[in-house]
Amino acid sequence: MRECRSGPGGERNDDSGQEFTKHYNLERESIPIEPTTVDGDCMTSATATDRHFSLAPSSPLAPFLAALEEQFGCLVEPPQEVIRTYYDSFDWRLLDGGGRLWHEQEGRESRLFWSGSVQIEWRQRGAVPRFSWDFPHNAMRSMIAPLLEMRALLPQVKLHLTRHIIRILDQEQKTVVRICLEENRVAVPHGEEGSVLPLAVRLEILPLRGYQEESAALHRWLTTLPYLHKSAPDLLEEALAVTGEVAGSYSPKLHFHFTPEMSARQAACEIHRFLLAVMESNLAGVQGDIDSEFLHDFRVAMRRTRSALGQIKGVFDPERVAHFAQRFAWLGQITGPTRDMDVYLLGYCDYRDRLPKPLRSDLDPLRDFLIAHQRQEQRQLAKQLEGSEFQQLLTEWRDFLTHEASHDGGPTLGEVVDRRIDRLYRKVIKEGKAINDHTPAEALHELRKRCKKLRYMMEFFQSLYPAPEISRLIREIKRLLDHLGEHQDLEVQAEKLRHFAHQMAAEGEVSADTFLAMGMLVGDLLRQQQQKREDFYQQFSSFAERRNRRLLNDLVTQRGELT
Amino acid sequence: MRVIGVYNIKGGVGKTSTAVNLAHLAAESGLRVLIWDLDPQAATTYYFRVQAKVRGGSKKMVRGKSELGDLIKGSDYPNLDLLPADFSYRKLDLLLDDSKHPTSQLSRLLDPLGCEFDLVILDSPPSISLLSENIFHVAEALLIPTIPTTLSLRTLEQLYDFLHKQQLQSLQRLPFFSMADRRKTMHQEMMQQLPRKYPEFLTSWIPYASDIERMGIHREPVTAFGRNTLAGRAYQRLWEEVIGRLRLRVKG
Repeated sequence: MRECRSGPGGERNDDSGQEFTKHYNLERESIPIEPTTVDGDCMTSATATDRHFSLAPSSPLAPFLAALEEQFGCLVEPPQEVIRTYYDSFDWRLLDGGGRLWHEQEGRESRLFWSGSVQIEWRQRGAVPRFSWDFPHNAMRSMIAPLLEMRALLPQVKLHLTRHIIRILDQEQKTVVRICLEENRVAVPHGEEGSVLPLAVRLEILPLRGYQEESAALHRWLTTLPYLHKSAPDLLEEALAVTGEVAGSYSPKLHFHFTPEMSARQAACEIHRFLLAVMESNLAGVQGDIDSEFLHDFRVAMRRTRSALGQIKGVFDPERVAHFAQRFAWLGQITGPTRDMDVYLLGYCDYRDRLPKPLRSDLDPLRDFLIAHQRQEQRQLAKQLEGSEFQQLLTEWRDFLTHEASHDGGPTLGEVVDRRIDRLYRKVIKEGKAINDHTPAEALHELRKRCKKLRYMMEFFQSLYPAPEISRLIREIKRLLDHLGEHQDLEVQAEKLRHFAHQMAAEGEVSADTFLAMGMLVGDLLRQQQQKREDFYQQFSSFAERRNRRLLNDLVTQRGELT
Repeated sequence: MRVIGVYNIKGGVGKTSTAVNLAHLAAESGLRVLIWDLDPQAATTYYFRVQAKVRGGSKKMVRGKSELGDLIKGSDYPNLDLLPADFSYRKLDLLLDDSKHPTSQLSRLLDPLGCEFDLVILDSPPSISLLSENIFHVAEALLIPTIPTTLSLRTLEQLYDFLHKQQLQSLQRLPFFSMADRRKTMHQEMMQQLPRKYPEFLTSWIPYASDIERMGIHREPVTAFGRNTLAGRAYQRLWEEVIGRLRLRVKG
């Protein structure tokens, strides 16, 4: 992700600006950071796993401590009470990327830890940063930023740790090896304040340099104890298992397993229920304005719902379909303006980079304008989503799907889907071929809409077709769609910027330099759009090549031939 | 990795207790610290409850047959490691003299530890020897504990002369008063006079205190067992001043 040099953070004093700038990455990070050269945090290689042991939650601790004392001279330091909170994005991007980020509070001491391919510890002051760009330019940021992208960090799992350091002493009363013993509890998610569940007691041998033999002797002795397990499960995984939470249970990706003989109505209900669940999962994040990705996922699910309503024909009552199509179109309208502002702010760095360096700061008023309007639109959206109209839509839609799912009968999936995909594909080919240099841009937009319908149909029902073939066709259409999308986005952005310029002029004093910079930007966007238009023919002919056409034809006709 | 030597030609001036307490405070401040006990009397090693023995002795060490890193012992304190003394260190001068570049051997030995430690504190034996010349070459600064007496002034002058003759002007000198007893007129007078002659004198000073002597009973730095004693606080002030003078970047 790219970032710009001068963010508004330090320049604006009103909360509004600061609050909303946080949602977008408006500062440049021009130099890749070498993890080892950053001040304030310290890095070590991954810890060895064979030093870890665990005690089953049912086994009492006292016999172990008594046996330890009998075997070795030892000293138990006063226990430390630690609150450890794991942070990740709503969709667990850090964990997916193989890392864990946690915060530990021990008295007044506050530390942030990263564990992935490297271990990083950072003595951090103040609240845990919310976005990757809120981190100082340190090693931790360089690990987190590529995984987290635009998503916010949320506290996901909270643990209460009682940590005992046991020092094994030699005859001189010198420490020769330490044991870190942790009694852990995990906070019950959404439970009452203070309600916790116990986890296994964990033990780690902390060897001391120059005393390898003593560490080995301790290790040998620990392995003889019947109630100790050699190794301890990952603490985060253990906590999630105990609370029954599943990290990464949220995914907006489509993974349906349909068969051609299945009722098309049942399949449509399954798709719609999944998409409804995605919308509902993201609702709180959209309303709370946590990060821009909640609204993004919400809108993708809504668009897919609209597409499925229109494309899976002959399964629901057409009047009800028309009603819901109209209601979801309304939902598209009310969520659109906030998403537009999100998109402009997420892409703001790119806008700046398009201008010659000396003119870049002229664009600052546009950034402030976008921030202010994003905030306005977001407020409006939150109000609408709380309102009865939206709540009624959700209830009606849920009830409708429950009702429809209880019915059997109607056409099978094979009958509906093959025909529909075939028709959509033919239309895409026909409309695409009709486009020439003189065709208005509108035709390309229409083609894009058609392609989206086709893509969604292929994605919903890919389990009906052989995987390599359908994946290839989905890849092809995605490529064409990306091209058409960029073409349209550039045009919309250029047009929208002109509109913003008028709005900015009407709203207050903006310097002529800003308008000139915006003008240059519009020119640049339109030039790029023209280039995209010229490249369209090549992109389309690659998509419509005979091999792909034959492939699709085989897929949608083979079932008919077989039966 | 920054290297500081604690040095005085004269013995019994509080070198070891300075090295031990500053190493402890430095480690507490988050620096990764190595204290190297170069004195065959092994007082530093004793304070840390470690056996005064180096595997293979100083011969293998100087001849590069044993890795310095393998000889290090972890102390009871986080971030603080010790290179223990060995009785064979009494012959260290002969071994150094035998080597190709006799005055840069310590530097060669410490080099591989560069990424493991932020600060190395060298506790040196008294007298001017080849070993002390090695310390002057590898260290960026010398902490010079000085008892406020006329005899100490003489040894300080001797040291300065030597450094001048050896063209070691870049070596930062940080003399400070040690074992000072303000009830003694001579101590008072010297504490006024010396900083006028040597403006680099640190303003913090370590009093003569029984708590420092009790380090031998506790076998711990006074900054660990008596942080708020007169001596404990004096070492903290001294450490703060050393951080400032050497512009050390501490993490805490």
